[in-house]
Amino acid sequence: MALKELSSLEKFLGLKKHNKYSTQGDNKVPVLQSNNGPMVGLLTVCSHLVNEAKRPELLGTSTEHRAMVHQWLEYRVTKVDGCTREEAKTVLKDLNLYLQDKVYLAGNCFTLADALMYYGLHPLVVDLAVHEKEHYVNVTRWFDHLQHYPRLRHHLCPVVVLRNRVYIGGHH
Amino acid sequence: MKLYISEGNPHCLKVVAAVELTLVQCDVQCVNHEERVVPFLSRPALPALLLPSGGHLFSSNAICQYLFETSGRKPNPLINQWLEWETTELQPALLQALHMAVLQGKATEASKILQGPLSYLDQCLSKGTTPCLTEESVSVVDVVLWGALHPFLSDSSPALGEWKCVQAWFERLAGEKACQAAVLKVLPGKGLEVLKPFVQRQPAPASSQRRDPQSCNSTA
Repeated sequence: MALKELSSLEKFLGLKKHNKYSTQGDNKVPVLQSNNGPMVGLLTVCSHLVNEAKRPELLGTSTEHRAMVHQWLEYRVTKVDGCTREEAKTVLKDLNLYLQDKVYLAGNCFTLADALMYYGLHPLVVDLAVHEKEHYVNVTRWFDHLQHYPRLRHHLCPVVVLRNRVYIGGHH
Repeated sequence: MKLYISEGNPHCLKVVAAVELTLVQCDVQCVNHEERVVPFLSRPALPALLLPSGGHLFSSNAICQYLFETSGRKPNPLINQWLEWETTELQPALLQALHMAVLQGKATEASKILQGPLSYLDQCLSKGTTPCLTEESVSVVDVVLWGALHPFLSDSSPALGEWKCVQAWFERLAGEKACQAAVLKVLPGKGLEVLKPFVQRQPAPASSQRRDPQSCNSTA
């Protein structure tokens, strides 16, 4: 899963050279051999790719913005990856509340946090029934925006999102 | 800026030490474990930093890095790699070890769980050319790892055993005034008992219950 994600991110970033990755440990942590030695961990490798592509703004443009991006990247690998069904509900509920008045996860622009959260949430959102998608309306709106973001989706199937509400006024 | 912490929480140890070390102006308030400071999270998350913009940081490592960067330290890839290791490799082992040591009184078993991460840390320190993990002076990485490991390493527990480099590094950190001040503030009293309310509130570490990421698509 992580390796497909890395390959999609390379394409999104427009990197000409496609890296070869290995994995280590039971959790299949991705490893990239770079000129400065091995880079270990999904976030470390992704940040490296962003720097290779000379897109540092994707990691945040100010100290505060960088901290926000860092926080949501960490949230992705600790709370979203491998979560149980019960934990998935909490993740979706919390993100739905957070995204109520936001277009992107950190600040007012697209960052690496949006890209990796989109990849990480995909298996959860695919599983949602129509009424659940309406329940998590802000997550669904953000998700739909991301899956139409230029060149981001790649390895993932598009998720159908209804623009018109089916369950009007219902409490699901 | 306002920093919310609670007593007996090792993550709060990191951020208080970072405040003391960086001298970033910040109002520190001690609240109950159950206090919901971050409005959009359903579970209480401490420490939490209320930023000048009105946003919240609820990850202790993001808070520490923010404080170090605010005080003029530059971020670098090596720092990010260590912080990711702490979050994804060390923390799950620590949580399991804390459950065993604090709630079940099995200190020896707990230290066995930490042998893997401690051995890795020891190797990196022995190969390194600087007294601290990433540079000559104490960086955000040292503070974060010191705070995380403090509950187990502070009383020269059996966990340290043969890890001489870890021991020397830990003692150097424990000698920092900032770290000593953080211990006084966050972990008053002796031993692991002070951590009990915190550990009781953490989800039980049960890797067998984890959802298999491969099966997500087929279980609609």
